[in-house]
Amino acid sequence: MEKLLNELSSKCNSAYKLNCDTETDIEIPENLKRKSDLGLPNISEIDLLRHFTNLSRKNYSLSTCFYPLGSCTMKHNPLINERIAKNRAFNLIHPYQPTETMQGILKIIYNLERDLCEISGMNCFSLQQAAGAHGEFTGLLVIAKYFKSIGQKRIHIIVPDSAHGTNSASAVMAGFNVIPLKSNPDGSISILKLKKILTPDVAGIMLTVPNTLGVFEKNILEISKIVHKNGSLLYYDGANLNAIMGIVKPGDMGFDVMHINLHKTFSAPHGGGGPGSGPVGVKTFLEPFLPVPRIKKKKSKFVLDYEKHNSIGRVKAFFGNFPIILKAYVYIKSLGAKGLKNASEQAVLNANYMLSKFKNKITVPAGDKCMHEFVLSLKSLLKNNIKTVDIAKRLLDYGYYSPTIYFPLIVEEAVMIEPTETESKKTLDLFINIFNNILFEEMSKKPHKIKEAPVNTPLKRLNEIEAARKPVLKW
Amino acid sequence: MDFTLQNKKDKHDMLKAIGIKNIKELFDLVIQKILKIKKINISGGKTEQELLNYFSNIALTNKVLTSFRGAGIYDHFIPSLVGEIIGRSEFWTSYTPYQAEASQGTLQAIFEYQSLICALTGMDTANASLYDGATAVTEAILLAIRVNKKNKILISSALHPEYIQTIKTYFENYSIKIIFLPISKKKGNIEKSIIDMFVDDDTIAVIIQSPNYFGVIEDMKTLSFATKLKNKKSMFIAVVNPISLAIFQSPSEYDADIAVGEGQSLGITMSVGGNTCGFMTVKKTLEWKMPGRIVGQSIDKNNQRGFVLTLQSREQHIKGGKATSNICTNSSLNALAGCVFLSGWGGDIEFKNLAKINVSKARYAFEKIKTLNGFKSKFHDNFFLMNS
Repeated sequence: MEKLLNELSSKCNSAYKLNCDTETDIEIPENLKRKSDLGLPNISEIDLLRHFTNLSRKNYSLSTCFYPLGSCTMKHNPLINERIAKNRAFNLIHPYQPTETMQGILKIIYNLERDLCEISGMNCFSLQQAAGAHGEFTGLLVIAKYFKSIGQKRIHIIVPDSAHGTNSASAVMAGFNVIPLKSNPDGSISILKLKKILTPDVAGIMLTVPNTLGVFEKNILEISKIVHKNGSLLYYDGANLNAIMGIVKPGDMGFDVMHINLHKTFSAPHGGGGPGSGPVGVKTFLEPFLPVPRIKKKKSKFVLDYEKHNSIGRVKAFFGNFPIILKAYVYIKSLGAKGLKNASEQAVLNANYMLSKFKNKITVPAGDKCMHEFVLSLKSLLKNNIKTVDIAKRLLDYGYYSPTIYFPLIVEEAVMIEPTETESKKTLDLFINIFNNILFEEMSKKPHKIKEAPVNTPLKRLNEIEAARKPVLKW
Repeated sequence: MDFTLQNKKDKHDMLKAIGIKNIKELFDLVIQKILKIKKINISGGKTEQELLNYFSNIALTNKVLTSFRGAGIYDHFIPSLVGEIIGRSEFWTSYTPYQAEASQGTLQAIFEYQSLICALTGMDTANASLYDGATAVTEAILLAIRVNKKNKILISSALHPEYIQTIKTYFENYSIKIIFLPISKKKGNIEKSIIDMFVDDDTIAVIIQSPNYFGVIEDMKTLSFATKLKNKKSMFIAVVNPISLAIFQSPSEYDADIAVGEGQSLGITMSVGGNTCGFMTVKKTLEWKMPGRIVGQSIDKNNQRGFVLTLQSREQHIKGGKATSNICTNSSLNALAGCVFLSGWGGDIEFKNLAKINVSKARYAFEKIKTLNGFKSKFHDNFFLMNS
């Protein structure tokens, strides 16, 4: 067990030292002064280094293992991205420096916007959003503002029941009412059902293509036609963009607004949960509503344009999570058009290869071919009181992170797997063997091994129920 | 240069296993011909060496300046250890810690971060971070609205202008009145009389930043107590600079309901203001209303202490449209930086000295600049300056 920082604190030589060239004997008016203690720890550099190094070793990460985690595109984060992002001429820049002294920064944001347009078929992007959900929210505000500008009252957003939880949460935050749309068993859209709920006050529909079951929406052009005929807009959740780069563009499918997760498709790291970046792309008619500032090129100089009277405003301070933007741009320059297409093709090949090894033994609700990810249903296989979560925990024992489980909600005992393009056939084969072994050997012969899992992790199964019942949220 | 790994034989074997001749078939099956694009026009294909040169040249068109611009983003010293720890790939390449047993490093670090943020603010509970200071204030207001179903928000007009713009964007489609409280022209602060004048039965919350955008320390206790006196249900939301809390009144000392802020000062590089970390703390009673992830302590099967994501039924992946917020990805790695930053200064006394150095230097610069030709102080009465 690794001690907590407060337990490590002692009267030792502290890790960091203040310069003593500054007056600290300042008078603070009594009424403004802090009276209570803070209780900050005092720890030496070596102890802090050991503490956090030891903690890091209790993490599974891409640098230690394969993440067969669907919906999140845990692809390799190339090290060159990180190296370039450490350049002090990128990270020691203040946001309010004169724009002439940050032309490089603006150039990268501007160029990434152009490249994202080319990849997605959108006409412009805002890169201010800090995450995918933040992008969704922004895109939905753009939709709201657009309808306001043409004097139409549209209050509903349609969200399929196979969508990411963020979709409906973002729609509600943006002031919309969510109409759920029951998907077909393979997660695809039922045109009949869609038509029924497509009333004149529907502002738009949010779709994930390929959907969360890894299926490309075959009828997308027809859906797009029906939705547009109703005067509603199409929103593209870019979580699964990794399947289609260089192959097909959301803009061509008819999408009006979309977001991209740079920390998924474009190899920026997840950082244990952030920071991320969720650029929002739109067609030209929605450009006036994008957040300010927009970055424009005037002659050969990059400038900030705040003069957008119909803009929704800003959605966070400053210009976006620049280090993530930079890493994504480095990635695109390293792959180029050919590499991007190859990445998507290999991602789809890897997923289908894995699926081919499971499809004859495990229920696949969405058919025997997929795009970059697929979903299995373990329902008919589970026995000896074993649950899907137990299978996930058992995989940890073999040194793998868990696939996404219990999502999408429309599949019972769902296991969602996305291998990404950066894993080798050898890695996939090893995983396939172990996963099959757990399901078809251990489940019947050694079920206790699964129930007791994990045993090879730093801690055994943690009690999440108790943690929520009696919350201890600080030391 | 790409990062795929299959050689010709691998591909051949994989296609065979799938039962197709080439990868194209997988797309042809489902994507209408009319949609398929011939090619995209993206430059690239550079090697690592070429990338380094290319981006070093772009970097040359930025200028690293000694920056006194302030305004929420500061060029504080960052100890070497911070970069070393957040540079560990076990942290930066890991996923959101949903699988607790495989994520104890990240989870314990966030638990420690929450504890340290509570230590700074004196508040009961912190979440695992938000995007930045601007969105943290906005989420605080959303929280207040969930609890207090009235229709008026009072915001100090000396709140960071970009935070104000963010709030305006978020609430455009809400039927809630946002009123900006004027500051004293002489002293640059919010006077108690303003609170007395504006707080009424319809007030959901009062939002005050200290130090405010002009660097003026507000008398938060007076303002908070005045707010409660006028309407005891009205919430007081403090927007604070974490380092200032070493020496100035803590939000718990003035009975703030929610305290939020920008964590960039805590060991995070400026990066054009785009690599930050919003923090949020609340009173215990508001815990379940908070947005975003929260880490809690628990035990494993062998009674060993461990950490898990908790109170998850507030969140979008469980609740969808009924969640407290849509936030999923936050600023985890930057929260880790904050955690490393806060733990090595030598405890309270030295950390207080760090805060005093900031005040001292800001005042020195202020006094000197004031004497320069063409410069004068915006405010004329006695006021207390931190950084701005």
